[in-house]
Amino acid sequence: MSNVEGSVAAEMPPTTDLLQGTLDLLILQTLTAGPMHGWGVAQRIQQVSRDALQIGQGSLYPALHRLEYKGWIKAEWGPSENNRRAKFYALTAGGRRQLAAELKTWERLSTAIGLVLKPALGRD
Amino acid sequence: MVKEWWARFKFFVAPRKAEELDEELWFHIERSTARNVAAGMNAEEARRQALIELGGVERTREQTFEQRPGWWMGTVAQDVRYALRGFRRNLVFTIAVIATLAVGIGATTAVFSVVDRILFRPLPYAHDDRLVSVGLVQPMQRQEFTLGGFFFEWRDQQKPFESLTFETGYGDCNLTGANPVHLHCVSVAQNLLPTLGATPEAGRNFTPDEDIPNGPRVAMITDGLWLRRYNRDAGVVDSTVDIDGHATRIVGVLPRDFEMPRLQDADMLRPAQINVAEQHTVNSGIGLPLWAFARLKPGVSLAEAKAEMNPLFLHTQQWIPAEIRKDFHLQVRSLRDLQMADVYRAAWVLLGAVLTVLLIACANVASLFSARGAARERELAVRSALGASWGRLIRQTLTEAVLLAMVGAAVGYGLAEILVRVFVAIAPTGVPFLAAARLDLRIVVFTVALALVCSVLFGILPALEKPRAQVLAARQARPGSQARLRRALVVGQIGLSVVLLSGASLLVRSFWNMEQQSLGMQTRNVITVHVPLNWERYPRGTADFYNRAEAAFRQLPGVTAVGLSNSLPPGGPHGGSRYSELEAEGRPPTAAGAGGSVAWRQVTPDYFRVLHIPIVEGRDFSEEERGLDQHLAILSRDLAARMFPDGHVVGRHIMHELFNPYRQAGPVYTVVGVAGMVKNGGLTGEDEPEFYELRTNGQAEYWDNRQFFIMESSLPASVLAPWIRARVAQLDPTVPVEMDTMKQVVSKLADRPRFETALLGFFAFCGLLMAVIGLYGVISFVATQRTQEIGVRMALGATRVDILKLIAGEGVRLIGLGGVLGLGTALAAAQLLKSLLFNVGPRDPATYVVVAGLLGAVALAATLIPARAAMKVEPVVALRYE
Repeated sequence: MSNVEGSVAAEMPPTTDLLQGTLDLLILQTLTAGPMHGWGVAQRIQQVSRDALQIGQGSLYPALHRLEYKGWIKAEWGPSENNRRAKFYALTAGGRRQLAAELKTWERLSTAIGLVLKPALGRD
Repeated sequence: MVKEWWARFKFFVAPRKAEELDEELWFHIERSTARNVAAGMNAEEARRQALIELGGVERTREQTFEQRPGWWMGTVAQDVRYALRGFRRNLVFTIAVIATLAVGIGATTAVFSVVDRILFRPLPYAHDDRLVSVGLVQPMQRQEFTLGGFFFEWRDQQKPFESLTFETGYGDCNLTGANPVHLHCVSVAQNLLPTLGATPEAGRNFTPDEDIPNGPRVAMITDGLWLRRYNRDAGVVDSTVDIDGHATRIVGVLPRDFEMPRLQDADMLRPAQINVAEQHTVNSGIGLPLWAFARLKPGVSLAEAKAEMNPLFLHTQQWIPAEIRKDFHLQVRSLRDLQMADVYRAAWVLLGAVLTVLLIACANVASLFSARGAARERELAVRSALGASWGRLIRQTLTEAVLLAMVGAAVGYGLAEILVRVFVAIAPTGVPFLAAARLDLRIVVFTVALALVCSVLFGILPALEKPRAQVLAARQARPGSQARLRRALVVGQIGLSVVLLSGASLLVRSFWNMEQQSLGMQTRNVITVHVPLNWERYPRGTADFYNRAEAAFRQLPGVTAVGLSNSLPPGGPHGGSRYSELEAEGRPPTAAGAGGSVAWRQVTPDYFRVLHIPIVEGRDFSEEERGLDQHLAILSRDLAARMFPDGHVVGRHIMHELFNPYRQAGPVYTVVGVAGMVKNGGLTGEDEPEFYELRTNGQAEYWDNRQFFIMESSLPASVLAPWIRARVAQLDPTVPVEMDTMKQVVSKLADRPRFETALLGFFAFCGLLMAVIGLYGVISFVATQRTQEIGVRMALGATRVDILKLIAGEGVRLIGLGGVLGLGTALAAAQLLKSLLFNVGPRDPATYVVVAGLLGAVALAATLIPARAAMKVEPVVALRYE
């Protein structure tokens, strides 16, 4: 038993608390690849970030619903890979616009932070 | 942005169902489980790990729900529903709080509106704080006045005022013509309106050319008259009307809110047309009496103005006879002071009363909320333990407090409207502007805000304490929290109630004294008729008219006696003279100016008969003596005693000095009798000694044109009225007739005190009611809290009476403490009421004993009711009570 636990524990990457806004951005970006259900989004983010990002799954669904209420993603029920019914989320036109805007903001922000931290990070 | 809100709106209106979310979450968990199983865990472990990873299904559900737009409103709705359920369960608490708030808000708002209008209203003049009243005062004449002999000097030589103006007092004038009506006319200087800063709403002010001696006959009418008589017809300007038989042109209409500076009831203004040069010869050389007003120059204060006028005053003083010079003083005071002098005291007392009521109401609300908070401490602790955030708890109590405050405020507003209408209905005519009082919106907003603050503050207080853990552990909430505060509040309330009750009782007694005092005359079955004549129509004197009217009245059915007089007791203006002007035969003359004044009435013999004034010595005048050319007099008992202390009065002579134009001997009167004393200084004023002169036909030229008929009749006034009017119309159709019963005349004098007493009594009642409710609430709460303890005591052998004593004892202690504190404060504060009381001292012991007794009895009853209920509880039930 402990063996299994240990192996599972070793597999779980360290979690990073994500700000709400950042989580929204990640979800929107992930959905550009196509409609996905909640589980798929979570796995996808983990996969693409090479396991560095494991979003707290407790905050995933509230985030998804929030985005839905804002009209940036729309939801549809459909059959999933294992033939169970699942709720698929897809980007709306408004969502795409929002994504573009937020990407720009993110870029500006990270550049600015990079500039401030340049001496500390020792990069060019 | 808009799309975002639209999407939110759609979801708000059509929310998703809860099952969908559940399905979504379970799908996620199943996938997680499948992945774990694929990684090598067994089924149970896989599922457990999946659940852990998701982080709490319930929590996720809740958080997802919270994302829903409009979710927060649902929680508010939840709070409201919960609050309403709570109210229904604790109806007593709810009604007590709402009633308290309503009474507090209603009473405060109504009284503040009224008092604000009286004390702080803006006068209808431009920059009213720069207006002053100027003149001389002397003990017999409280109102400052000036005389034509020196006014014009002052006007020409004064420095501190932008302009100085006057009016000559108001007199009667009759609007003759088709529908004769009796008006009040005031003669004013041409610059009165400009000085006050009032502009006519139609037409124009007088021009200087119209204010010269023998100038054209012009007039301005008030808006009230314009409405009543001419229905605001614009054609009235420049039209000609008949005033006292002369054609007069109306040149303007005064603005709607215009008032005379001395608040007289004026219908018409006419230019004074004073001959300045003549002022040194008319009226014994002192000139006509003028009431002067002025506008201060910018930057000049009242004190400075008075100082600058002083040299002029000193110069004028030289012309006052030396004996009476020291009586006269210069006075310069603001117009507002002039108008409000009488009312200030009563208004402040009223304000004090209403603030006290407000304090009691606040204390009540605080105490009630505090008790409820203590009762709910356990519930709040449970909720907190179940996961309610502190903010949520506060919000829930806040919802309750705000709901109660809003309902209380709404009811209070309704109550305020009713109260204001009641005040206006019972308003005495003497208090200016009361009749126009209305609810002031600013005050409504203020008191509603106050109620909100009060409720919120006291409602939240209990929730602010973090619920203590031991509260959960105990089987029953301890009464300890804030108990001391509640007791202090109740003591305070009772104390304040005592103060209010004492004040009200003193006023009630004073009023009772006033009503019950003997007037010295009879008012039953007496009708008064006032017939003012137009001088111009009676160039040879008015005696003939009045005699014929008297004869006509005598023939009316049911009339047993008809008397004439030039003034009516007990109040009302009456002629007078100085005591020093009467020289008794065989007695040394009195020093000039000493001895005070004497009331003077010119009457016919039936005057004493109608009013049933006893003639204690000598005899009444006789009808035959009316035809003679002698001067006959009847003295009142006190005057007779003063003038002739040796007791021998009848047949003695009195000489009346005259001052026209210099001091000389006047007519000599023979005393024929002594009459009983009649109140002549109003209901509360000092009586003056009275001199009754027989009105004879021989002095027809001395009859004035304002006579009162008083008649004793067995028929009611309403029946006689048309007959009286008809008789007068037969003699002179242009003469207006004013009728009243004597009872009404006297009753009007008591209007003001009646009003004050009613108001204060009302507030005392409110205060007492609320204090008693507060006491009842606290004792009842205490009894409930101690139910278990009572059960234990009874099980251990206490009798029901012991329990009663236990609970009631607490109440008695509170009443006692509150009562003592209250009595002390009341005794100290009663001095403030002194000027409003009649024949009752502010420390009158009988009143305080009654108040203490009343309060004690009512409060004790409030204590005993819950104590009895506690006493009746079955021990077994009590022990099990939680």
